[in-house]
Amino acid sequence: MELEDLQRIWDSQNNRPLYVIDDKAMNKQIRMKKDRSHHITNRSELLLIAVNVGAGCLLVGLNFAKPGRNLFIDLTAAWMFGTALYVLANRSRRIKGDKRFDRSVRGDLDHALSMATYQVRLSRLMRLNVLPMAALILLGMGEARKSLWLMGAVLGMFVLSWFAGGFEHRYYTARQRELESLQEKLGPHLQEERG
Amino acid sequence: MTENEQQHLFETWLREYRAIIFKIVRAYAFTAMDQDDLFQEIVIQIWHSIPAFRSEASPTTWIYRLSLNIAIKWVRRERRHYAPGPLEDAGHLLHENPVDERLRWLYQEIHQLNEVDRSIALLLLDGFSYKEMAHIIGITESNIGVRINRIKKHLVTKSKKEDYHGT
Repeated sequence: MELEDLQRIWDSQNNRPLYVIDDKAMNKQIRMKKDRSHHITNRSELLLIAVNVGAGCLLVGLNFAKPGRNLFIDLTAAWMFGTALYVLANRSRRIKGDKRFDRSVRGDLDHALSMATYQVRLSRLMRLNVLPMAALILLGMGEARKSLWLMGAVLGMFVLSWFAGGFEHRYYTARQRELESLQEKLGPHLQEERG
Repeated sequence: MTENEQQHLFETWLREYRAIIFKIVRAYAFTAMDQDDLFQEIVIQIWHSIPAFRSEASPTTWIYRLSLNIAIKWVRRERRHYAPGPLEDAGHLLHENPVDERLRWLYQEIHQLNEVDRSIALLLLDGFSYKEMAHIIGITESNIGVRINRIKKHLVTKSKKEDYHGT
């Protein structure tokens, strides 16, 4: 065959597209993305509440058992209970808000995006939360006249948490971006589907 | 450009030029999952590129250039790290229509070429001039000429070996 013959074969695909876009697979992909977002959000909320309540109770108990109360430890515990309450309130609001999304593909995608946005906000706040927590813990340790080595080690752990929080936040932001792109990409298609 | 204009242009392009995207996806990605992945990536980048599009340029050239760049980058990235996503069980977005055996063979041969030659082969078969190819791919016209001779020779020789006589 010469090039002209190859071009004729090549042109045959102009009359019939090589692929068709499978709507069912697309819907399933969106639903899986939504379920994954839902699962991650649910787990991180419960974990945050449990960790903050647990650690807050432990601090109160320890402070109570020791002679001479440390004000900063009480403040840290109060801050942790406050954080758990904040997460709990947001969780209730999120669950109530979940009902506003319909069972369509568009609804699922909007829902997944809303959860991803919520997760991004939560991870940013929890990362920022490391700062007051570190300040309170270190002040408490200072008041209890703990060694500089120990305070250095605790500070090191907070620095690590700060970076780990940044990594987590970037992960959620990437997921949010992925869903936004999917929404942009599927926008016209979903409008056609609705119309 | 307003978001409505962007949306409108995106819909039009996707409708009118999807054949270009399909050709590139088929030439650069081999498995159904990879084809889905590359297709999604190209479509997303086209959406993001629309505000930078100048109406004096041809959309065909623009889409070809953008999609080929994405495909070449995608192939290089995939070669470095292959990590199937958890969505592979969700089924595939793209389903192949039955294809003429000779077209299938042609794609297989194109797939054997390196990434840049693959782009040139697609543009050559779609009837682009050397000048347009040089503009789209970003190499000199003389380089395009050299590569085209090599590609033509490769395809024509292989077609003779495969015994595809005429059309």
